[in-house]
Amino acid sequence: MTVAIVGAGLAGLTAATELAALGIDVVVFEARDRVGGRTHGVEVAPGQWADAGAAYLGSRHTELTALISRLGLATTPTSTEGQSRFSLRDGDPVTTDGRFPPVSAVALGELFDLLDEVTAAIRPDAPWESANAAALDAETVTEWVERSVRHADARLFFPLFLGEMMAADPDDISVLHMGFYLASGGGLQFLNAFEGGAQESRVDGGAHQIGELLAAKLGDRLRLSETVRSIAETDASVVLTTDGGTWDAEAVVVAIPPLLADAIEFHPAPPARSGSGVAPGCAIKVQLVYPSPLWRAEGLSGWSVSADGPLLSTVDDSPPGGVGVLTGFVTGAEAKRFGALTADRQRARVLAQTRRLFPSLPDPIGYHRTDWLNDPHSRGCYAALFGPGDWVATGPTLTTPHGRVHWAGTETSTEFFGLMEGAIRSGRRAAAEIAGTR
Amino acid sequence: MSTDLVVDGMIRTFSRVLRSDDVTPDSDFFELGGDSLLATRVLSAVAREFGPELTIGDLLVAPTPSALAKLIEVELS
Ligand SMILES: Cc1cc2nc3c(=O)[nH]c(=O)nc-3n(C[C@H](O)[C@H](O)[C@H](O)COP(=O)(O)OP(=O)(O)OC[C@H]3O[C@@H](n4cnc5c(N)ncnc54)[C@H](O)[C@@H]3O)c2cc1C
Repeated sequence: MTVAIVGAGLAGLTAATELAALGIDVVVFEARDRVGGRTHGVEVAPGQWADAGAAYLGSRHTELTALISRLGLATTPTSTEGQSRFSLRDGDPVTTDGRFPPVSAVALGELFDLLDEVTAAIRPDAPWESANAAALDAETVTEWVERSVRHADARLFFPLFLGEMMAADPDDISVLHMGFYLASGGGLQFLNAFEGGAQESRVDGGAHQIGELLAAKLGDRLRLSETVRSIAETDASVVLTTDGGTWDAEAVVVAIPPLLADAIEFHPAPPARSGSGVAPGCAIKVQLVYPSPLWRAEGLSGWSVSADGPLLSTVDDSPPGGVGVLTGFVTGAEAKRFGALTADRQRARVLAQTRRLFPSLPDPIGYHRTDWLNDPHSRGCYAALFGPGDWVATGPTLTTPHGRVHWAGTETSTEFFGLMEGAIRSGRRAAAEIAGTR
Repeated sequence: MSTDLVVDGMIRTFSRVLRSDDVTPDSDFFELGGDSLLATRVLSAVAREFGPELTIGDLLVAPTPSALAKLIEVELS
């Protein structure tokens, strides 16, 4: 009998590929008319692509790196050379050497010391079992900042740091989730860095190719535009109801974000996948296209950070040897406000900000906006945000199979949670669970 | 405060921040793998233990425990 996989993101496609390699029949249901989920390409010029979803990876993302080379893809280093632009306070943006923000280094040091302390207190493989889990899970990050961050500059910079790293608003996540995310991703130092860190490189030609190549090998075992609505277990099998009909399977891998898993009707009902506090991550990506990376000639890296939005940061995502691409991130509470504007208003605000940040750049020749927050098939990005109480409530059953139903998706991985690497590891784990029971 | 005490304090701080056991009075912070993020943690330790609020630029010109100790003493005098 067949194993059914729900969701053709990196987690579902990895699980399907691994099971198929063992000679097991698989069928993959995908709600969208494309594969890849939270990886998605935008064609910024004929044959040149940028990442509207996940983009960056680093050397510790070992499963992803191995998969990229198995598929015959290459990576390209993220370009960060040159000066940065910062708009953190009233007045004109300032230029600095390198990526270091123009705020008190002592204040940032204090902040990083505190973050390191929180990280060290977490059991990364089971955050809900950390020594002080209940207390850490009860407090929001906003409350933690009020209580422990003293320096004004650290308070100014922290929300920007969190928005950049997790696309989170400090109100939305618990201290346990923040510490867990840092620990899971390899620590503050690795997560924050481009060179030598989690943003070291990108997939040459776009991360969406990973899903497309995996899907090509699955062929007609993949069913697009077919949302799974209910999953019911019988004595001998499990029955999936999709928009296209019903399917009998021996086991199921549910490889979708927790808020979407809870939208499926299960019989019998599993423990909730998302706790009451789970919020969607808030990321909207904007790509500004120029004839070439014009900022480089002026010694600028394209990197900027702004406190006065809508773009929190910009980064040079230009395809090697091609057009210039500045990717802008709108995250956290600002993404909620920005997402509610009309497309014209959004564009006008982005262009006005870009003129302030990079006065010598002409207006872009191309503009792309991808709103993940309001996308019904993602309900937020980069990943689900666990709020107060969520880890303690949902952590213990995060990966526990529910009868014939197995769980995957980056939000079920305690290693590299929220990242492509976590998605791939979760898919491998779910496939191994099923292979192990046969 | 004696210079030796400040140098010892800086060696301990470098060791903790760089997770290294090989720090001597003349070890260069950046050559041992220090970057700007880790530098901020040295600077917060200096402020906490001795008072002066130094900058990353200061650490660039005084990147060793002994040079940093001298700078701290100048700031304190
Ligand atoms: C803007 C942005 C930037 C990011 N940056 C990075 C980065 O730089 N580096 C990094 O490593 N990660 C990054 N991420 C995170 C990364 O994209 C995700 O962690 C990863 O892609 C998640 O894969 P997944 O398979 O777990 O889930 P998904 O990719 O969400 O896949 C789930 C799939 O299931 C489908 N689906 C949902 N419900 C149903 C249903 N009922 N029936 C059938 N199908 C369904 C969805 O359409 C989707 O295709 C970023 C994400 C975003 C959005």
